[in-house]
Amino acid sequence: MSVALVARASLFAAGVCIMLTGPAFAQDKLTISIWGGSWRDLVAATAAKKFKEQTGADVEFVTGGTIDRLNKAKLSRDNPESDITFTTSHVGWLYANDGLYEELDLAKVPNAANLVGQAKISPFHIGTWAYVYTIGYRPDLIKDVTFTSWADLWKPELKGKLAAPDFDPSHLIAVAAMLSGGDAATWQKGEAKLKELKPNFKAFYTNDANSQQLIANGETPVQVILSMNAYYMMGEGVPIKLVIPKEGAVLGIDTIGIMKGSKKVDLAYRFINAVVDPEVQAEIANLKKGSPVVTNAKLAPDVAKLPGVFTTPEQWKEQAIIIDHKLRAEKTAEWRKWFAENIMN
Amino acid sequence: MKARPFFWAFVTPAALCGFGLAVALAALFQFSLRAYVPGSLEPGGFTLENFAALMKPLYARVFAETVWISGVTAICTLLVGYPVAFALVRTKRRVLKSAILIIVVTPLFLGEVVRTYSWIVVLGNNGFINAVLMKVGLIAQPIQMMFTRFGVIAALVHVTLPIMVIMLAAALAHIDRDFERAAESLGAGPVRTFLTITLPLSAPGIVAGLTTAFAWTFSAFATPQLIGGGQVNMLSNLVYQLGFASFNFPFAASLSVAGLALTFGVLAILRVLSRPLEAIGPH
Repeated sequence: MSVALVARASLFAAGVCIMLTGPAFAQDKLTISIWGGSWRDLVAATAAKKFKEQTGADVEFVTGGTIDRLNKAKLSRDNPESDITFTTSHVGWLYANDGLYEELDLAKVPNAANLVGQAKISPFHIGTWAYVYTIGYRPDLIKDVTFTSWADLWKPELKGKLAAPDFDPSHLIAVAAMLSGGDAATWQKGEAKLKELKPNFKAFYTNDANSQQLIANGETPVQVILSMNAYYMMGEGVPIKLVIPKEGAVLGIDTIGIMKGSKKVDLAYRFINAVVDPEVQAEIANLKKGSPVVTNAKLAPDVAKLPGVFTTPEQWKEQAIIIDHKLRAEKTAEWRKWFAENIMN
Repeated sequence: MKARPFFWAFVTPAALCGFGLAVALAALFQFSLRAYVPGSLEPGGFTLENFAALMKPLYARVFAETVWISGVTAICTLLVGYPVAFALVRTKRRVLKSAILIIVVTPLFLGEVVRTYSWIVVLGNNGFINAVLMKVGLIAQPIQMMFTRFGVIAALVHVTLPIMVIMLAAALAHIDRDFERAAESLGAGPVRTFLTITLPLSAPGIVAGLTTAFAWTFSAFATPQLIGGGQVNMLSNLVYQLGFASFNFPFAASLSVAGLALTFGVLAILRVLSRPLEAIGPH
């Protein structure tokens, strides 16, 4: 055998070895169910990028609203169209209760060792990023009112100026209960208090874009607003002040779970690990001005100091009002119905 | 019997569509009779509770508001649409005809959400109308148009106008002009000719347009949702608020069934009321 032939055979063997031992998932594609628009773009630019680097596998997104995707998951129960689902913490409980999620083995997610306790939602889903619903207002339009407590929303000067989400009254229901000596579980204690707030409502916004438009054009200069939306509008030049009331702001966590019946469970765990990677978490927090769900994410200092961005255990403990996610999943219908019947109509 | 070669070719797809619709309606009806289980997607056993819960005055009020808004929208659309349709049919200048047609039909090419967001820009306190009125000094403070019935109806008229104009134009185009010429030759002026000849002969188009506009508006969602801002609620908004946003699909289904029954009821009444009007027309 000539030297040249040996060299060629060696090169071929090396090539075969590289092909066999290279990224094991290079030919695979993970299907991810998520909201469309900026949320899909966010995950594509951060976690999916990291995941591709680590595994060589691609990601395909299936987008839709929270409820649309829940319905689709229910209809394709044994043969899910996605391997991973992003959804809110309480809707995640609906997936879990209906047996649509795999039980998670966090030993397969090394980065989950640094998860904050508040992000361990259930044995089936964990947090991916957090935000708050809190008081946001236009200081150029609301000049005579100061906000230090949720109770300030009830001030008569705010008559006909307030907006809140029409799709989820749980924030105000929990707050009204708290101000009346109760909590989300004993929410009826706040019913009378919440009815007193009715004159101050001008409108109820129906989605993020609607919220942003109504505060940007001054139509509703005070809102119970998603912190990320407020920061986005501030970036667009709208003068908004975000307040963390002394009682705390209502925490929201978006979550991730693996669909039961997924044929790519190992790859799905690798993706979840990429989502809770400290670098990815910092990137997400810096882009969206939300809170990372791991303790070892290093945020840009100007982001870390923003109200509603929690980076220390004290902030998570003292500044966040956490409505039990399972309770919220079970009570949402009751709360929504009561709110529609007594406040909105 | 005369052979109808394409009969089955046309009937089969229609029958399949009809079957699909019937199955969907049956599923909706079935869901409306199931109990809601908190925290679960699966409905419980059969119950009439969803319909019993509809007996609250709130729901009657929203149903009445839906009928009222749909009715006023249909009438306003007719009042705005009739002159436009008349001009579209009667103008002899092709350029003008095309321009009217394009202006009328363009809204159909925009999504309902996009159209509605544009109305927020027009109707808002800092919007186009208030800005102009304040600039010319007609008002000192902005007029509240957003989150009012007026705002919702104005936007709904815009959404419904193309349908109304197209239906009226079809009716007006079919009117035999000799009737009008005969009236004029007998000494009737343009107004009398219009009121005694053109308008009655276009009655079938008016009835069809009103009925379609009413049904079209009855199911409106995005416009009352965004312009009404939770302060003006129609039936679809209630279905969304109470059903889909809170996962109570059985209750949402019962609201939909009740809404469907109400639509059929109102349309049947409209049909009876419009029969004498329709009889005037040439078709």
